[in-house]
Amino acid sequence: MDTPSIVGVRNQKVIPEQKRKRFSLTKGIVILFLSVLVITQVYPLIWLVLYSFKTNEEILSGSFFSLPHSPQWVNFSNALAGGRYFRYLGNSFFVTSVTMICVIIFSSLAAFAISRFRWRYDQVLLLMFLVGMMIPMQATLLPLMIIFKNMNILNTHLSLILPYIAFQTPIAVFILHGFMKTIPAEIEESAIMDGASVFRVYWNIILPVSIPPVVTVCILTFINIWNEYILAATFISAERLKTLPFGVNSFVSQYSVNYGAIGAFLVLGALPVIVVYFLLADKITEGMVAGAVKG
Amino acid sequence: MNVLKVSRFTIVAFILPCTLIYFGIVFVPILVSLYSGLLEWNGIGQSSFVGLENFRNLFFQDPVFWPSVRRTLMFAVFSMAEIPLALMVAIFLRRYIRKPNFLVSSYFMPVILSVVIIGQLWKTIYNPAAMGGMLNQILETVGLESWTRSWLTEPKVAMFALYFVALWQYLGYHTLIQFTGISNIPAEIYEAARIDGAEGFKADRYITFPMIIPIFKISIVLAFIGSLQAFDMVMVMTGGGPAHATDVISTHMYNMSFLSMKYGYGSSIAAVLVVVCLIATVIINFIFNKLEKRFS
Amino acid sequence: MVKTSKLLSLVLATTLLLSLAACGGNAKTKENTGSANSGSTNATEKPAEKVEDKKVTITFQNIYPDPTDPKNQIMKKLVDQYHTDHPNITIELDSLNTDQQKLKLKTQAASKEVPDITIVNPAAQMKPFVDAKLFAPLNDMLDQNGLKATFQEGLLDFYSFDGNTYALPDGNNIAVVYYNKELFEQAGVKVPTTYEEMLEVVKTLKSKGITPISIGEKDSWTGSFLFMNMLLRTNGGPGFLQDVVDKKKTFEDPAFTEAVDAFQSLVAAGAFQEGATSFDYNAGENLFKTGKSAMYFMGTWATGGIETSSVNGKVGVFKFPTINGKGDPNEFMLAPGSAFAISADSEHLQETKDFLNYFMLNFPKEAFEAKGAVGVGQIVDGDFAAAGYSDMAMEVLGLFKEVKGGDLAFDNTMNPGTAQIHLNSIQNLFVQKIDSAEVGKEHQAAYEDNNK
Repeated sequence: MDTPSIVGVRNQKVIPEQKRKRFSLTKGIVILFLSVLVITQVYPLIWLVLYSFKTNEEILSGSFFSLPHSPQWVNFSNALAGGRYFRYLGNSFFVTSVTMICVIIFSSLAAFAISRFRWRYDQVLLLMFLVGMMIPMQATLLPLMIIFKNMNILNTHLSLILPYIAFQTPIAVFILHGFMKTIPAEIEESAIMDGASVFRVYWNIILPVSIPPVVTVCILTFINIWNEYILAATFISAERLKTLPFGVNSFVSQYSVNYGAIGAFLVLGALPVIVVYFLLADKITEGMVAGAVKG
Repeated sequence: MNVLKVSRFTIVAFILPCTLIYFGIVFVPILVSLYSGLLEWNGIGQSSFVGLENFRNLFFQDPVFWPSVRRTLMFAVFSMAEIPLALMVAIFLRRYIRKPNFLVSSYFMPVILSVVIIGQLWKTIYNPAAMGGMLNQILETVGLESWTRSWLTEPKVAMFALYFVALWQYLGYHTLIQFTGISNIPAEIYEAARIDGAEGFKADRYITFPMIIPIFKISIVLAFIGSLQAFDMVMVMTGGGPAHATDVISTHMYNMSFLSMKYGYGSSIAAVLVVVCLIATVIINFIFNKLEKRFS
Repeated sequence: MVKTSKLLSLVLATTLLLSLAACGGNAKTKENTGSANSGSTNATEKPAEKVEDKKVTITFQNIYPDPTDPKNQIMKKLVDQYHTDHPNITIELDSLNTDQQKLKLKTQAASKEVPDITIVNPAAQMKPFVDAKLFAPLNDMLDQNGLKATFQEGLLDFYSFDGNTYALPDGNNIAVVYYNKELFEQAGVKVPTTYEEMLEVVKTLKSKGITPISIGEKDSWTGSFLFMNMLLRTNGGPGFLQDVVDKKKTFEDPAFTEAVDAFQSLVAAGAFQEGATSFDYNAGENLFKTGKSAMYFMGTWATGGIETSSVNGKVGVFKFPTINGKGDPNEFMLAPGSAFAISADSEHLQETKDFLNYFMLNFPKEAFEAKGAVGVGQIVDGDFAAAGYSDMAMEVLGLFKEVKGGDLAFDNTMNPGTAQIHLNSIQNLFVQKIDSAEVGKEHQAAYEDNNK
């Protein structure tokens, strides 16, 4: 029952088979704990799916476990009505992917410079970015409106992408910087000795090693903007440019809310994400392991 | 650490794209916001410059401000206290689960789902028993009827009910970050330690903990800043009510700027929020720098 | 401040352009494809690409986003018709939920970017916009095609300042008490005619295990709306807030404290559902709609929703009773609806006015056909009973005929700063017993503080 006996499962590649097979109480308790956690964390998803098939009255009656009385497919037809879903999905996808690409490139460059270059103002710059993370978005709405008006980009996707990049890069820089700091310096020193350029060091050494944090940054960036509504609703007016959160909120009227349709729209909004995620999950795992091994 | 000696041009090339967009879209609005904090302005019509008047009112006359600061800081303390738990979960996942990525993603679900849904779900949990509130029903079933209450509307407990939802929601978020951190520790180090006889928690003590400190810091800072900006969840669950009992700094700011239409005053709250964040971050940085030095 | 930020944003614009070029023109190409898409590939929209006259796009910001809401259907129908009649004009609908629209309009107003048509609330709530000269006066347009005559008498006054009308309302409602006849029968109670009777009814219902009144007090205006109706009674008539503004009375007046006491007696009697302050408007209303509460105090706009719920047919309405013999039940809380306003800076002012004129002229007829004409702010021609309106709707329409005046909601009379403190103060009464004199003092202090 002593803990050392079950060590080593952490790194699959180096663990001898027989060690894993040993039963241990600790392991049992831990797995039980992790399973309970899965249930509490995944239940909302199941709940959401049930929710999307219910009537307003069923939803508001507030029962926690109940199944829908009769499945309300009408919620889904409402959500899909007029082809808005596909248009919004396309827009969300476009805005999110452009943002993610830019965030990753910009932030990894900056994080590299802050954590690896020897220069005077690196900490100042990092602090600057930290300040950026602290700004509540609501406080910037009005100034941004004025800026975008003068840049003449209101009501374009650019008016979303720019603030999304700007608000997500500080967090990304912060996270990537934290990781890059931990990478041993010897590797790049020797690379430089061999005559590699700085950019090559960044591209061929640091970036591959940083795949796990980059993946993490991708995920965090994604969830921060996929559901973002306040900026989108303020800067976008044209129907053809709207993103998924508009669809969710379109079922909220002045004196009524169509909860079932909201649920259906959220299911439809989350579906592609979850599908893509699990399709890519293996690749992501590979990336993480590869990164760890190379490090 | 910082090893590469490079030309000024190279530095600029690396940081320019990031810095430009950041200064344009984040920094300038902050300055504008700070300036607005010195105005008496309803956000629409004429404004007049009142100097530090807004701050004076905020600090000395506003009955809602200080309690909301206290709640916000409590929020931050709870969120940060959660990080060790997230780290523990991450260590468990790495050690006991063969294909942990599926679980990590599962734990992450509450963050992906819209706050509208999370709010609705927890309301059905916190509701009075007569309206199907699960928590109260459970308490009644196990004979703890005296514990039942209306969780979201009793001023004394409502805020704790909110803290709990936030902790539950963000556990997966921090687990993901910690998990990434652990995955990033080179396998050879553990291998070497194992040969030296350091396994399990002993290995954690001497390898995982010291090496995870920078990542731990990331989570702490993110938790701190995230809870200072907590907004959506409070708005959805209680709207800051009953009677300001669950107002935090950001909801107070929103109420002032956009509902009471005192934009200048709201901006002064935003400015205070930024300063609080800044001080806290410096403190956190200081503590962790010490820690890192001690362990490396 | 606008000047400085203009300068800053100029600097910005250039720097940003540079940074975008650095990012490989990624974002830029997208902008082009975005607009190209809109014209050619989306068949669902009516882009009116083939230009005949001067091509005009009018942005119509509105709060009817839900395609299952009759108002959304009416709006779409009228817009489609207008498109057919005027191929050169495109109406771009920017449909948002109410809270978001308010936030957006305020942000737009600060940068003088008000959309061609937008939505505002009456009286005090639209005053800051009018003061900032953001809205165009609509007097000339009201005279076209006799539009002015279609509105109920006096209604436009709530949207007029210094003789100019700035917005046209989509509705005009009064506050009533809906009650569930079945639950009343079950408890053996009758419709109360005095407040004292009402308290008895509440207690009886409560003792029978029925929630007497449901309310969505998370949206704190709901409680305030009820409270203001009590004040309308204890004051012996309308105009209390106006008297405060005119310095004839203060919030420490006995009429006000009496209303607070009356309100607290209702709370103390257990009239409202447990945890009322965490129920939003919809969740509160749903308790009534699913037959879980016996009474529901609300504006008559709720009629349509109740008609389509499971309690349809069992619901009646009554006027809010007198308190301590004071007040007149035929004085109601008046709720002139949210209203369409036109931006003073609109590039196509005349076209926008023409469209809104058309829209408002046809609105009552369409609303009548969609069974949504209860509480429309215009005169509706048509036989409601023959058109199949429910008994409850007919009852509500009957009450409209008895209206002898009343008060507006608190936030339509007082400025936003005072209103917010009031809303919270009333919400507090749901969770705490507070001395009514204290409440009066708090209000007075807030009023003075916000009207320096």
